[in-house]
Amino acid sequence: MQWQMILPEILLAAGGLAVVAAGVMGRRRETPAALAAATFVAALVALWPLRGITAEAWWGMLVVDSFALFFKALFALTGLLVVPLAHAYVERRGIHAGEFYALIVFAVLGMSMMASSRDLLMIYLGLELLSIGSYVLAGMLKDDDRSLEASLKYFLVGAMTSALLLFGLSLVYGISGSTHVEAIRRAVSAGDGWRGVAVAGMWFMLAGFGFKVAAVPFHMWAPDVYHGAPTPVAALLIAGSEAAAFSAILRVFTTGFGPLANYWQAVFAVLAVATMTYGNAAALVQTSAKRMMAYSAIAQAGYVLVGLAVGTPEGFGAMLYYLLAYLFMVVGTFAVIAWLSLARPEEMLDDFEGLGRSVPWVAAAVVIFMISFIGIPPTAGFLGKFYLIRAAVSADMVWLAVVMVVNSAISAGYYYSIVRRMYLTDRSATVAALPPGTSLVVGLAAAATVLLMLFPQPIIEWLGSAQQVVALLR
Amino acid sequence: MLSLLIFTPLIGSLVIALLPRENKDLLRRVALLFSLVPVALVAIMWARYDTAAEGMQFVERIPWIPAVGIQYFLGVDGISFPMLAVTALVTTLAILASFNIQERVKEFMALMLLLETGMLGVFVALDYFLFYIFWEVVLVPMYFIIGIWGGPRREYAAIKFFIYTLLGSVVMLVGILALYFQSGLGTFDMLAIAEQARLNPTAQYWIFLLLFFGFAVKVPIFPFHTWLPDAHVEAPTGGSMLLAGVLLKMGTYGFYRISYPTLPDAAKAFAIVMGVLGVINIIYGALVAMAQKDFKKMVAYSSISHMGFVLLGLAAMTPMSMAGGLFVMISHGLISPMMFFFAGTVIYERTHTRMLPEMSALFTKMPVAATLLAFAAFANLGLPGLSGFAGEFFTLTGAFEPLTSLVAVAVLGMVLTAAYHLMMMRQILMGDATAEAAGHAAAHAHGHGAAGHGALAAVRLPDLTLREAIVSAPLMVSIVLFGVAPSILLRIFNPSIQALLSRMGGL
Repeated sequence: MQWQMILPEILLAAGGLAVVAAGVMGRRRETPAALAAATFVAALVALWPLRGITAEAWWGMLVVDSFALFFKALFALTGLLVVPLAHAYVERRGIHAGEFYALIVFAVLGMSMMASSRDLLMIYLGLELLSIGSYVLAGMLKDDDRSLEASLKYFLVGAMTSALLLFGLSLVYGISGSTHVEAIRRAVSAGDGWRGVAVAGMWFMLAGFGFKVAAVPFHMWAPDVYHGAPTPVAALLIAGSEAAAFSAILRVFTTGFGPLANYWQAVFAVLAVATMTYGNAAALVQTSAKRMMAYSAIAQAGYVLVGLAVGTPEGFGAMLYYLLAYLFMVVGTFAVIAWLSLARPEEMLDDFEGLGRSVPWVAAAVVIFMISFIGIPPTAGFLGKFYLIRAAVSADMVWLAVVMVVNSAISAGYYYSIVRRMYLTDRSATVAALPPGTSLVVGLAAAATVLLMLFPQPIIEWLGSAQQVVALLR
Repeated sequence: MLSLLIFTPLIGSLVIALLPRENKDLLRRVALLFSLVPVALVAIMWARYDTAAEGMQFVERIPWIPAVGIQYFLGVDGISFPMLAVTALVTTLAILASFNIQERVKEFMALMLLLETGMLGVFVALDYFLFYIFWEVVLVPMYFIIGIWGGPRREYAAIKFFIYTLLGSVVMLVGILALYFQSGLGTFDMLAIAEQARLNPTAQYWIFLLLFFGFAVKVPIFPFHTWLPDAHVEAPTGGSMLLAGVLLKMGTYGFYRISYPTLPDAAKAFAIVMGVLGVINIIYGALVAMAQKDFKKMVAYSSISHMGFVLLGLAAMTPMSMAGGLFVMISHGLISPMMFFFAGTVIYERTHTRMLPEMSALFTKMPVAATLLAFAAFANLGLPGLSGFAGEFFTLTGAFEPLTSLVAVAVLGMVLTAAYHLMMMRQILMGDATAEAAGHAAAHAHGHGAAGHGALAAVRLPDLTLREAIVSAPLMVSIVLFGVAPSILLRIFNPSIQALLSRMGGL
């Protein structure tokens, strides 16, 4: 039975290796991409029999529950959408397909491990697998200085992040004698003279995870990395890597550090306000499409942090829904940016000029993504914000809800700068022919963005059980 | 019935998206056809409408997201049904008035229909979540309508409109959620919350303020009005007609539908503030309108002024003043589109200017069009016998008892309104076209003796076309009808107003 619980991870690992092999030996250039996509589909299929099961294996190194399942499905879906998104881009930029897709599969494997463990060591291993893959992926454009800078910067900051996490972890281990979150919770709630050490360790870990989700003031790497990395990689990092970090935060803080909630809830509230406000303010003045989306990613992480500040199951459920909705908006938007960069590799906002006339349906889809980022119905982004605000108001944090909605209104300024360029100017940027992969991703993402709002009931029910898994244990 | 009503335009908009963009006439006709369906449905509903009943009619209710207590819940009563009718009518006329648009006809017509779905939805939604969705859906098409087909400063006006109203509505959303949790009923059902929630006054004050912000931006209430002149002036005629005719009423409708029935204690506490703000709107709007040289800007500020009467009617909280406020909403919903149609299209297309000092003697240059404009201006300034007067009369009479001093100031506003309309008409309608032309001709053709001869023919402008007459006719008929027989509307308003006031604690 235990092997079946870890089957999705086994499939991802095997698939990743197969992609490497195909990259070395295969003659057809499409093989690695096809294999990677097949791997993600296989992983999704392997997740299906696990629904409804709650179990722990190998002393909590691996857990299966609706929370883990939700995130693993989200990560596999991210990978599955990034592959067709990347196809034309990888061809055009001369990226080695075998390595590229293999690293994406391994990164997704790392994310899955982070979401499905209750042991800090395992979570850390997953994080490292994800990170090391991401460092390489960020530098895949070998003759682009910005990509190399992104890779190096991500690596250096990542190393420091790992150090912070490990240092915090060692302090926590010192008082609990275990790396399992339940054991940590018992040790922390016993609350003898060592509580101060636990709080210190927790804050180090908070800073470490803060770097991963690019929360202000731990964000300074994010604009450069998301801007410099190859566009499909930026999408993977923003949609997948951040969600993985949030899944780990939820596991560790709600269970392990649950008794210390009074010490971290306010911190997350401050981080949320700083992150969304800074991200939105900085995004307003950008001229590069990717850099603007990078700051937008910071702002959006700020919205998700609201769920942690609220600290109720509703808040956590809202975070999960938001991350799922966010996945589709990000992947859809970056698919368009990657496609536009085929004709104009600088990836400026002005590349969107005249898209409303040249390719109307893609422009319409981009409008859907943008209003979803802002949080205007009928889009999933709206419902996600609605849930977050609802959670904040129900926890008597109306002030946080107001800060959040004022931020959304400000964000309309820059999201609409794309809409303005697509429809309101007379100039037209040249565009390449639309690759089938891009059409597929944009179409699916736009449809999902609308349908997740109009028919959310199945997802809501799933989240209802997932949010109980991480219910705060004080 | 109501679902069909609100989603027919959406279907129309999708159909238009599939039609070829080259065939402009086809696109226009299809759009008109789809916008006529709601008009027909409203007419059928009007025939079946039970004016004796005080509750919701034509109710549709399906669970939507039961986990959170969200339903798909529609219905109309005496407060919303007349607005629904105005929306259906004015949208059709705005589409007809926009037949002269030549660029990107396909997108324009699709957006107008999408906008109509949003507007109709706002007036029939009885679930807060659904209400908010329709409320926001209105924003996006209007942004494009202003931004693509607007005047020279369209980009600025469009984003200003968008961000202002978005800010207002997201704060309103927080208010809605606060209401949801304070009520403790676990439902977004507007009627259930209004009837069953027992909110303490402090909670009511806060929620009232949050909702007030959203509605105030939309109405707009001074000092939240600064987006309006830009948006109205830059919008193409069809957009201005809908902005002034329908969108502003969404704000006051929010007070009637949500704030007053649900938060009666707060409404009473804030009544005096609402009244003062209403009078400020009336006087300020009228004074600024008087100073305008741009015709459209004048009409835009006159809208601010007229919306002040609705606020005054709400503030007084008597059956007559509340009905008067609704009457002003309907009446202004008919008159202001006509004013914008003339200022932005009929006059502008012939004189190629909107500047009042550059126009004169339109009575001689285009007699029929000028007469119709005079009709609209008289209706707008409140000439007895037309609907504008009836609404203001009911409002002021109803408000006289509780708010005597405010009514006295508001009457001064009516005088100002009459003054700037008359000044406008003297400037652009009167004057001696022959002498003016002779003067021009003399200046141009210096020394040619025959200049005076035939000058009258030279200054004749093409008069009202058939299409323009068809746009004006339904508005004029309704304005006269409601002016001479206001009971047609009052009969529909009264049961709902009575129910509202008795729920608020019998005033």
